[in-house]
Amino acid sequence: MRVKVIEKEVIDPLGETVVDKIKIIPVPSKINKISYFNNTKPNADVILAAVAESLNKEGKNVEKPAGAGATEEQLKDAAGADLSIIAVGDCGSCSTWVILDAIRLEKEGIPTISICSDNFMDYARSLAKSHGADDLRIVEIKHPISGQEEENVREKAAETIKEIKKLLNID
Amino acid sequence: MNNKKVDNACGCSIEDLLKENAEDGEQRLCKAAESDMEVYVDPDPEKLSYEFYMKKQTDGLPIIPPTGERVRRFIEFSGKNRDDIIAVLPPRSGKATVEKIAVNSIMAGCIPQFMPVIQHSIKAVSHPNFNLPGVTATTHPVAVCTILNGPIAGEISINSGAGCLGPGNIANATIGRAMRLCLINIGGAVPGIGDHATMGSPSKYSYCFGEAENENPWEPLHVERGFKADESTVTVMGLDSPHNVNDHRSKTAEDLLDTIIDTASVAGCNNSHVPGEMLVIMSPEHAKTVADDGWNKKDIKKYIHENALVPVELGDRGGRKLDPKWVTGGKVQITRKPEDVVVVVAGGPGRHTMIAHGFGTSSESVTEAMRLADGTPASSVFDFKK
Repeated sequence: MRVKVIEKEVIDPLGETVVDKIKIIPVPSKINKISYFNNTKPNADVILAAVAESLNKEGKNVEKPAGAGATEEQLKDAAGADLSIIAVGDCGSCSTWVILDAIRLEKEGIPTISICSDNFMDYARSLAKSHGADDLRIVEIKHPISGQEEENVREKAAETIKEIKKLLNID
Repeated sequence: MNNKKVDNACGCSIEDLLKENAEDGEQRLCKAAESDMEVYVDPDPEKLSYEFYMKKQTDGLPIIPPTGERVRRFIEFSGKNRDDIIAVLPPRSGKATVEKIAVNSIMAGCIPQFMPVIQHSIKAVSHPNFNLPGVTATTHPVAVCTILNGPIAGEISINSGAGCLGPGNIANATIGRAMRLCLINIGGAVPGIGDHATMGSPSKYSYCFGEAENENPWEPLHVERGFKADESTVTVMGLDSPHNVNDHRSKTAEDLLDTIIDTASVAGCNNSHVPGEMLVIMSPEHAKTVADDGWNKKDIKKYIHENALVPVELGDRGGRKLDPKWVTGGKVQITRKPEDVVVVVAGGPGRHTMIAHGFGTSSESVTEAMRLADGTPASSVFDFKK
């Protein structure tokens, strides 16, 4: 007698993913006005102020929540510019909503640059990818940001500003 | 082609023609031979648990193998089709189909009758107000707490009595675990990859209980939220792990609530800089003390809301900037309004309450009624069975 023992198959627990590609809006050749979208995380204002000083363009400051999405009103406010720079993703929920709000703005036709700390960069990129925004512009700043002295944050922001200038084709 | 002599009468020599290396010691069984048999066995749970663990598809505990037959039995209790999508879960935008919810529920050790509860809980966490993208990814140790009300809670014997937040009951232990496995495997909430909790929390293993409606001197949670008493609901809340409030001596509502308020008014919670919901689970004995003093739920909520305060210099140390509108007289209110104080009654004998802070302004609890596909309320999990 021959007996063949076969283990029953199991079903994969992973869910299939939904991906709708998002069109990333190109950075315009001429930028007159930038919205600085501040999620009120500690030192987000310092980073954005350093970027604003360096770019020297007309700017508007808009605040949004850190761990949740911007309200429609806040989003509309941030969309009232040629470009929006969003800071800062240096934790799980704030990185999530920097990226998701950036995607919301891109969908509205506003080009964005998101700033996340290097510790959350892989996550930020994979989140953008899982939303079909593979080419979302995300620049890095050295972790940690919270609980740091302003001078230290400004030093860190200097490297980030170089990256932003590259994206904007500014020398 | 091999030269092995086979009895062609049974017709299975066609397999030899189709296989190039059939002679390589392969034990081909003959369908016509009574002496040959194939035996199907369940996968070895130890081996499979390890395999799934290595792929980061478990919470670290052993799992029940999600075989096709088990999945079929679970889907029977869903009232839906295998491929129906209940929600899309962040961060990886995974489709929570009935099948995938079943697979993860089996792995968690659930029984098929729990399917409607888990499906509705998944639907509830996907409500935009719950902010699952934030709740899942945050460095804060917020976990998903599921509270059951109504007849189905009793039918599946969820523990709402002694030890309801601890071990010992299959519904409490596995429904919360199924939720977590769905978040991990469908949503991608893998610790350190999609879930960035700095330390996480034991509540992320399972966090599910029922309200002790029979011992509640006030209306239960689902009735307070506009559902009928005989409707079954799941309420999901994003919460810290619960903190005990031991008060054996208070004889008045005010004294007892002051102990609760003092336990709740702490600087390190999310609510201290972004005020939001807070869960208060009163034991029947505590609830009785307060109710016997003539206080209703509204009174409790108002009193806790007005008096749960944190000094602003301590409260304003969290991740987000404190909005000055929450500050009065140098103190921050940890709830935005009396309704943010969510009061339920559960637990066994003893004079204890549990409080759990929420995720501040970044998550609102959601109550979902368990209804059939045509919208009629379900009074039994068997109503879902096709």
